[in-house]
Amino acid sequence: MMSNSTHTLSVEMDSVHKHYGQYHALRGVDLKVAKGEICVAIGPSGSGKSTLLRCVNQLESISGGRVKINGELQGYRERDGSFYPLSPGQVSRQRRRTGMVFQRFNLFPHMTALQNVIEGPVHVNGERKAEARQRGLALLDRVGLAGLGDRYPAQLSGGQQQRVAIARALAMEPEVMLFDEPTSALDPELVGEVLEVIKSLVSAGMTMMLVTHEIGFAREVADHVIFMDEGVIVEEGRPSELLGNAREQRTQAFLSKVL
Amino acid sequence: MTKDDINELQDGRRPNAAAPCNVDVVQNRVVQRRHPGRWLVAILIVIIALQAGQGMANNPNFHWDTYFTYLFSPFVLRGVGWTLLLTVVSMAISIPLALALVIMRENENPILQGVAWFWVWFFRGTPIYTQLAFWGLFAVLFPRISVAVPFGPELLSVDSRWVVTPAVAAIAGLSFNETAYLSEIFRAGFRAIDRGQTEAAQAIGMTKPKIWTRILIPQAMRIIIPPTGNETIGVLKLTSLVLAVPFTLDLTFATNAIANRTYLPVPLLLVAATWYLFITSILMVGQYYLERHYGRGHDMPKEGVR
Repeated sequence: MMSNSTHTLSVEMDSVHKHYGQYHALRGVDLKVAKGEICVAIGPSGSGKSTLLRCVNQLESISGGRVKINGELQGYRERDGSFYPLSPGQVSRQRRRTGMVFQRFNLFPHMTALQNVIEGPVHVNGERKAEARQRGLALLDRVGLAGLGDRYPAQLSGGQQQRVAIARALAMEPEVMLFDEPTSALDPELVGEVLEVIKSLVSAGMTMMLVTHEIGFAREVADHVIFMDEGVIVEEGRPSELLGNAREQRTQAFLSKVL
Repeated sequence: MTKDDINELQDGRRPNAAAPCNVDVVQNRVVQRRHPGRWLVAILIVIIALQAGQGMANNPNFHWDTYFTYLFSPFVLRGVGWTLLLTVVSMAISIPLALALVIMRENENPILQGVAWFWVWFFRGTPIYTQLAFWGLFAVLFPRISVAVPFGPELLSVDSRWVVTPAVAAIAGLSFNETAYLSEIFRAGFRAIDRGQTEAAQAIGMTKPKIWTRILIPQAMRIIIPPTGNETIGVLKLTSLVLAVPFTLDLTFATNAIANRTYLPVPLLLVAATWYLFITSILMVGQYYLERHYGRGHDMPKEGVR
């Protein structure tokens, strides 16, 4: 799956650096995610895995390097060795290629589940409301929430909210889905239902980047696992290699704590 | 059905809780507690209220006949109309202006930030009475208003007296002063929204103006409305200061004028108070419906079964 030919690559990161003032959060990350591939990032907290994900859809601006999606440079136009920032409108257009699911769901609390799902299609893509509603209802059905479209987020459990959030991201028909610790804020008994939905996307062939602490889940769905620590990718490979037979000492130390 | 089953269904936690289900409500027969203390206090308050009411109603110093003579007099009703108009128009101007100030304040452009900061500093820092007096003097200080190319020819010019009339001066004074307070309230409202809301909106590709109108403003409204209702009632009473302009058609001026003519200030103060109370009550009804509208998604029961 880790092919190098450009047209099959989805996300491509090329020595990406990110500084927060003095703090060096990403120290030269190289990563290639092929189309249809499931890339899972694991590692201790503060290792930079969430930052990495947020650089893909430009919620964080990168300090150095390049991020490309389908070969298109994100956030800048490059000419004669200089980087020219894109306009806010162009950045918004690039973001529509990715869907993101957050740790804390971040549903819009003043809208019902269905309104959350159709907000993007109607108010960003200008889709007709009736059509968006049809698609929205189908998406809610797909994540197992048929009949709950009229509920407000406050009336839903954490697991249900996260599934609405997944439907909201899918409604924009993204080319890549980004999951930032999607089950970390959930009660243990609700984790399963969210992982089920993510698994159904895997079988549908969606390209995904996922940050998680669920090592078992990573082993089950990932094509490609990366282990991050202190802002670098320490080790990457197939889940069977990396999770079962890690080469690096830091990876072994981390896995021995979480497995 | 066991109690645990019922709890689970009511929580709506089950993945398939979508299916409506009827639950037999299990309830104990509860005998109401008695509250002798509450009754005692209530009786005491009623007695005090009756005495106070009687003391006012039968008191010749209150001149109730004069009160009723002027309560609905055309002169007073016109004052009520103008006071209401000043309040509503001032708020209608200051709310969008205050919103613009907040957006300027949050903008990356330091000039816009600076202008917004200066505006709030100036209008909050100077007395409203002085501001109103200056608006009243506008036509004296600047006899003509003209649109011109800087240091170049004049394009358009009008006599200030026709533009800044007393009513315009009163509205300008009240609303500009109010924007300073409102923008601080609005800013607090926007700050209270979780950053994740903006990020979620950005992640679905929303542009900044859309994020403001679709995500931030509707959510901030819930927080902003109660203090804004307060401010509206505050402006209602600030209208009594428009005599600084001087603007002489508002309710306080009208009742004061009658009081000066009849030498009976007390009943006319009561007339004014009655109408201010009446207008406040109407505004409170409006606020109730606004709060209900923008509270959706928040102030509702966490019901699992409907």
